[in-house]
Amino acid sequence: MIKMAKLLEINGLDVSFSTGQDTVYAVRDVSINLNPGEVLGIVGESGAGKSTIGNAIINLIEPPGKIINGEILFQDQNLRSLNDQEMLNIRGHKIGMIFQDPQTSLNPLMTIGAQLLETINTTKKLFGKEAREKAIDLLQSVGIEQPEARMKAYPHQFSGGMRQRVVIALALAGDPDLIIADEPTTALDVSTQAQILDLIKAICSKRKLGVIIITHDIGVISNIAQRVAVMFNGSVVETGDVKQILSSPDHEYTKSLIAAVPRGNVKVERFTSIDYIEGGAQTLKRIAVKEHWLGDSLVDTKSEIVISVEDLNKEFVLKKAMFKRNRSNLQAVKDVSFSIKTGETFGLVGESGSGKSTVARLIAGLLRIDKGTVKLFDKDVTNKFKDKEVVTAQRSLQMIFQDPFSSLNPKMSVEDIVAEPIRYYKTATSNRQVKQIVRDLLDHVGLGANAMIKHPHEFSGGQRQRISIARALASRPKILICDEPTSALDVSVQAHILNLLKDLQDEMNLTMLFISHDLPVIHQMCDRIAVMRQGSICEIATTNDLFNAPNHSYSKHLIKLMPKINFSSS
Amino acid sequence: MKKMRATPVIKENNRKSTNVILKNLSQPATLVSGVLLFLIALCAIFAPLIAPTNPYDLAVVSIMDGRLAPGETMFDGTVAWFGTDGAGRDVLSAIIFGLRTSLTVAVCSALIALTIGLLVGMTAAFFGGRVDAFLMRIVDIQLSFPAILVALVLLALLGKGIDKVIIALAIVQWAIYARTVRASAIVERRKEYIEAANCLGLSSFRIIWKHLLPNSISPLIVLATLQTAHSISIEATLSFLGVGVPITEPSLGSLIANGFDYILSGAYWITFFPGIMLLATVAAINIFGDHLRVLLNPRLSK
Repeated sequence: MIKMAKLLEINGLDVSFSTGQDTVYAVRDVSINLNPGEVLGIVGESGAGKSTIGNAIINLIEPPGKIINGEILFQDQNLRSLNDQEMLNIRGHKIGMIFQDPQTSLNPLMTIGAQLLETINTTKKLFGKEAREKAIDLLQSVGIEQPEARMKAYPHQFSGGMRQRVVIALALAGDPDLIIADEPTTALDVSTQAQILDLIKAICSKRKLGVIIITHDIGVISNIAQRVAVMFNGSVVETGDVKQILSSPDHEYTKSLIAAVPRGNVKVERFTSIDYIEGGAQTLKRIAVKEHWLGDSLVDTKSEIVISVEDLNKEFVLKKAMFKRNRSNLQAVKDVSFSIKTGETFGLVGESGSGKSTVARLIAGLLRIDKGTVKLFDKDVTNKFKDKEVVTAQRSLQMIFQDPFSSLNPKMSVEDIVAEPIRYYKTATSNRQVKQIVRDLLDHVGLGANAMIKHPHEFSGGQRQRISIARALASRPKILICDEPTSALDVSVQAHILNLLKDLQDEMNLTMLFISHDLPVIHQMCDRIAVMRQGSICEIATTNDLFNAPNHSYSKHLIKLMPKINFSSS
Repeated sequence: MKKMRATPVIKENNRKSTNVILKNLSQPATLVSGVLLFLIALCAIFAPLIAPTNPYDLAVVSIMDGRLAPGETMFDGTVAWFGTDGAGRDVLSAIIFGLRTSLTVAVCSALIALTIGLLVGMTAAFFGGRVDAFLMRIVDIQLSFPAILVALVLLALLGKGIDKVIIALAIVQWAIYARTVRASAIVERRKEYIEAANCLGLSSFRIIWKHLLPNSISPLIVLATLQTAHSISIEATLSFLGVGVPITEPSLGSLIANGFDYILSGAYWITFFPGIMLLATVAAINIFGDHLRVLLNPRLSK
């Protein structure tokens, strides 16, 4: 057999960022290689330096970043020795890029045809009819129907998945030999994600392209890549065959990373062995909830049904107009009914835009209900924003939000944030007691009382989510609504937060409404699940039933698309 | 490029922001305008102590000193560095006292306008819907009239006096503040920490006061400095037109107007020096305000 020439070879790459006094290595001594027709996955958590490698290959590292050491051989040519002009002939021509967000990587003011033609003109030096034919060809090959008609469409006229197909067509326009895809499916729904991954796979094998997929999602890697490089803190800790690494990882980090990924098939009590990763919970004094201030209940909870929702409806106004026929509304929630028992975790799952978050906000009284009733502890709270009793009932319901970066007031110290409900409702007797409670709560959520004097911007996403949880606890809630609480977090941090939520639920007998688009996470957390689509509920079933024998066709579809990871033994 | 920054992002933030502040403060433009502004403020506050003579003490002012050129010595032996005006007042002293009037008017009107604008803008942003529509239409109407015209009409109705000028300037300017604070409050209002505050069951007043206000006020601080400069010029224009502050308490504008009659006969200094002072003050405030904007928004400082 003839030894195949490597398409890309990176040896001992060092990239550093100097920030004033000190230098931070974003990438340290990384060596990877890639054959034609192969898909290499680079996986790691945020800050691991995955994207930096991608940018280093095409020499697009922005100052203060700098490549210090190492060579990047692309088709036996050292890319580092090329000047800017020569580099232009590589980028787009020989190496194509696919970015994360199809929303921003296309020019919104140009038709996709014009954007494709522009790329073809510069890379292939084709013009006029030939270029047009090539563009239509490309659109066809990425699975866009009626390509000729769609050439005249603007990016906003495409859905997210279709837009990502256009981005792929653009990347292919110069007939590249290598494609670097940086989180190509992160911004997409599960069903579109599966299609896009299949497309990349098919194109790769058909055109004999080398593909580097950069992602944080092990599910994506296991679906598409043949080999994988696991990155941690700027270094590659392990490279090898995907199946082998997923089933029997060598490095401690890889082991803990894989352990932290929620599975769709098995339910575990807690996520295990994730302690390798820094920034996790310290072992802190946890309070005995029963004897603590936290244990005093606010509302009488003898009733078995805690939340009951009947025929909930909500419309959003899309377009206002004087005349009725010109108005347009969006039915965000349509005839939704369910009830949640004490101590139960109820899951709401669905793709983006299915109305999950709206349901949560309607229950929490953050939005006005158009039709239907919401009862908390058998008390009708529908649209009663002023009623004292209702406000008390609603205070026992707290929310954890999706975005840890906007859910905390940046101008307040952590102490003030957590203490606010206690001080406002004077649920503690003295200022000293308030401080003690805040200290206890911060310890309890695994952040540590030292955090009190700091401000939110000094914390990472996972830590901020812990602050959010502590703030929610300060109201002594009976119900916790978690709206995608971990979708902005890395897997390892996600595992920590999910463990924390589970522990809290056990200790305080919390009732939870857990919202997520991530089926494996829902599977791990919930007792019963409602599947939502376009504002209405398709199916409500127990977790076991739903994952083993889904009834509704949409649930079946969703579960089929769930990224399967082959962990053979463990 | 996302995620380009390496690991310890969190700790850097703090140091970075102090660095940005230091870097901006040490820029020559900021430094010069800041120092100038400081001196101007000192002059205005301590006017009676700094000024060589009291230009409004009729016992001291002598018609004999009328229209002395810059550098000549007055009757009582003090040197009139900037010359004297037609009534024999020292121009330098008049400028220092004039600054006092101008700044008082500008700062007071800015504060009053800021307060009104803040209330209106916050209410509009927080309650939204009809309240918002109603308040913003008033703002639109207010802003559709030229500021100087509204001020002229108001002063014609109210009559003369420093307090009247302050009221007129506040009425002219509140709408700009209202619109700005509404814009930034609406952005903040959509963030999840406001929803979280709602979940905690806090009152509307507390949410506005503790959560919304502190996070939407920084553009207002910048606007307030720039508007202060603006109201100094409006006040000067009004005084120049003769409807501003009374003749007994001249501002920079009325000093300029005062010397205008003599400019053709060669006594340029009576108009010239107050004009330069007005220019310097407005420019210093503007430059400083501009850099303040960069300071308060470190993202712009690249």
